[in-house]
Amino acid sequence: MNDYSVIGKRMPRVDSRAKVTGEAKYTADLKFPRMLVGKVLRSPLPHARILHIDTTRARRLPGVKAVVTGEDTTGEKWGVFRYTRDQQFLPTDKVRYLGEEVAAVAAVDEDTALEALELIKVDYEELPAVFDPLEAMAPDAPRIHEDFPQNINIHVAIHVGDVEEGFAKSYYVREDTFRAPEESYFQGEPYAVVARFDLEGNLEIWMPNAGPHMKAKPLSNALKIPLHKVHVRKITIGGAFGGRSEISPADFICALLAQKTRRPVKIVYSREENTIATRQGHAMITTIKTGVDRQGRVIARDVTCFMDGGAYSSTGPIATSVPFLCMEQAYRMENVRYNGYRIYTNKPVRGMIRVHGRAFACGVDTQLDMIAEQLGIDPVEIRLRNAREAGDYTNTRSYVTSCAMKETIRRAAERAGWKEKWGKLPPYRGIGIGCNSVQTGFPMGIRGGSQAFIKFNEDGGATVISGVVDNGQGNDNMLVQIAAEELGLRPEDIQLVTADTEVTPLDPGAYSQVSTFIGGQAVKLAAQDARRKLLEIASEALEAHVDDLVARDRMIFVKGSPQKAIPIKKVVRMGLARGKSVSGEGAYWPKVDPKREWVTNPFGQMCEAFSFGTTIAEVEVDPETGKVKVLQVVAAQDVGFALNPLVLEGQFQGAVAMGGQGGMLTEYHFWDQGRVMNPTQLEYKLPLAPDMPPIETIIVESHDPNGPYGAKEAGMSIAMSAAQAYSAAVSNAIGVYMKEFPITPDKILQALRSKREDKE
Amino acid sequence: MKRRLPLMLTVNGEEVELFVEPHWTLLEVLRDELDLTGTKEGCGEGVCGACTVLVDGKPVRACLTLALEVSGREVITVEGLAGAEGLDPLQEAFVEHGAVQCGFCTPGMLMAAKALLLEEPAPDEERIRRAISGNICRCTGYTKIVEAIASISGPAKGNPAGGKS
Repeated sequence: MNDYSVIGKRMPRVDSRAKVTGEAKYTADLKFPRMLVGKVLRSPLPHARILHIDTTRARRLPGVKAVVTGEDTTGEKWGVFRYTRDQQFLPTDKVRYLGEEVAAVAAVDEDTALEALELIKVDYEELPAVFDPLEAMAPDAPRIHEDFPQNINIHVAIHVGDVEEGFAKSYYVREDTFRAPEESYFQGEPYAVVARFDLEGNLEIWMPNAGPHMKAKPLSNALKIPLHKVHVRKITIGGAFGGRSEISPADFICALLAQKTRRPVKIVYSREENTIATRQGHAMITTIKTGVDRQGRVIARDVTCFMDGGAYSSTGPIATSVPFLCMEQAYRMENVRYNGYRIYTNKPVRGMIRVHGRAFACGVDTQLDMIAEQLGIDPVEIRLRNAREAGDYTNTRSYVTSCAMKETIRRAAERAGWKEKWGKLPPYRGIGIGCNSVQTGFPMGIRGGSQAFIKFNEDGGATVISGVVDNGQGNDNMLVQIAAEELGLRPEDIQLVTADTEVTPLDPGAYSQVSTFIGGQAVKLAAQDARRKLLEIASEALEAHVDDLVARDRMIFVKGSPQKAIPIKKVVRMGLARGKSVSGEGAYWPKVDPKREWVTNPFGQMCEAFSFGTTIAEVEVDPETGKVKVLQVVAAQDVGFALNPLVLEGQFQGAVAMGGQGGMLTEYHFWDQGRVMNPTQLEYKLPLAPDMPPIETIIVESHDPNGPYGAKEAGMSIAMSAAQAYSAAVSNAIGVYMKEFPITPDKILQALRSKREDKE
Repeated sequence: MKRRLPLMLTVNGEEVELFVEPHWTLLEVLRDELDLTGTKEGCGEGVCGACTVLVDGKPVRACLTLALEVSGREVITVEGLAGAEGLDPLQEAFVEHGAVQCGFCTPGMLMAAKALLLEEPAPDEERIRRAISGNICRCTGYTKIVEAIASISGPAKGNPAGGKS
């Protein structure tokens, strides 16, 4: 039993008070003297050559302070990887999707800026466009990027063992194809940027981000100003979910306008712009062939996935790999082959999103249920037989140190009453299970580790300086809890300076669930360093050995004799008076294989820890309307260790809403020639409060030996397994395995009709 | 100079006089003219509920309300919920129950919930869910928001007047 005073407690988040009073400032809330309004002119065509842009009339409009086009840039292309440099923030040659940035203005107010956009005249030569990934791969398809034949942006090819031999040895083999269109993030906060330059040429910039350092470097490259002069500032962020992972053209454009005008500039995206011009989730076609032995154990699996990547690479190599990796972490397989293709189309750019592809995750699990039915095995049992275990290596050679996948399956099944319900529910009622695993980070080169500083203040409080960013998930609170625990202080004694590239040291950012594992670890080490220095000072005063001292609740005392104590504040002041350092520093570098690369070498240790989640959903389908009512959801995740159960439960519940309720039942984009027909919440249906079922959360703790206090990740395993559970439950309710997602009422009615016709 | 018209209204208990263009929305006036940026713009078309404020105690979408429509009326924004004695119990409940994640929907959610509690001090869960069904939250799945509102529902709880107390 641990004896933590702050860690592991149901502590309300430190940032929530400012958020309930309206005092928390988001980017669009910032206001500076002489600030201008920036607006972006977007392409009305999905694919066209830019022949000429005439900005003369826009520039003459009173109140317009700057107009920029591709001519005002170096024309360099940006890419997250060297081999994916394909995007100009303001294109000089052609536009590749409807909504792409073409020009921008800065004006004294919004009305003037909008009027100026109308005065910009762009001559386009329209080019044939392609909107479907399979059509885009055809030999005669229009080429979207000259140097990418067949519009294949990324091809991830993995083959471990011999799948053909595995199929030959299998007792039962089947192949199925699953499809899903694009989904979107719909973060609460639409994208916004504020930029200004000071007299020394330093850029100060605010925007929602998943890692300030990941914004600063490409901005420095694109603007040709030294990295140390790019100061990405901390700001409250209204959600990310993977959609704010890299530089946005708006960041560059806003900075460019500020540079030209020597005035602060603010760009606030409309909801429509947030959907079209930030990122979307990939549409996906996934063909899965699985061979099992008589007991349902997977002997071979061959997965081919075609992902609609849109017009540019974004995080393409990662996005093409992660759906496969989550699956290979979750389930054991003797032989496996993966061919992931990310294809360019003339549609908005796709990035990473929380569920990482519904047609992938749900396909694998749906097929497992089909196999289980064929072999007469219970879906829970077939998952237990294939579940990952601690001490395993994944097929791509990551060692799994801690894993309580089986415990999540058993506990979720027990809580959901699986045994009593499976096969025994009345018609049109169904129950389904999904399992998944998420990695805690991945090799990220120089930005793969995190560093932190702790400074004691003369009042006995401490300031934590860390690059970790909070997108809304509660990272700030996590840092405060860790620092308070280690320093023997109360959470209210901790001040945070975070996510500011001028002040805070390097950190990977809030990507792929690394913040606690890596950033939290760095803060823990820094706090331990600071504490050790305090204890050394205190040991003289208390005449006790450093190892016998404990810091807790603002006091340092001798173990076992709490009356021999001295306030931390006094120790800090003693240290200051004697010229001794009362600060600490810590650095954490994850033990990953730095040679692992997404495309060229997808083997080796991916990250230090993996999380595992199981969700079970129970639904009722109305056969007349095709409407699904979700009766209950049970979500169980191996989080390693619960640093704050209150925050964790919120992550699980939100994950069920996004991955299951929205992701599987209502959320998708529909299109007309590259135009998103439902860019806003009016027609893109997000879950509302009355839609949501009761959600039971089960926290499973496997105590990862490398995680801070044993903690791993919390934000994604449930989202992914919830998607699988929802699709399985609906399939179970209607007696048809659904292969196209989301499962909207029309698809359910169609499935029921086909089923009736098959019988007749 | 564009034509501006005089507007008088009460915002969070204070009388406000200003000149506005006829097409300005209440949201623009609150955020841009009065610097009350607690009220958020999430969609600008009345779907997401992030801009919900109270007008004479009723929940209203500030993004769809012309500023001149609220002439002479009493507007309460999220900044007006806390009184001199501290947070409104509804705000306390949101904090304590972990109902806040990214926080962008929180101001609108609080105002919708406040309007409900003013009208009906002891709503059941279904009523609570319906009352906030015009407010989209992408982070929480609503569970903890509903729990927070339910925790203070009941007679003689909350600060019925809102605004400065």
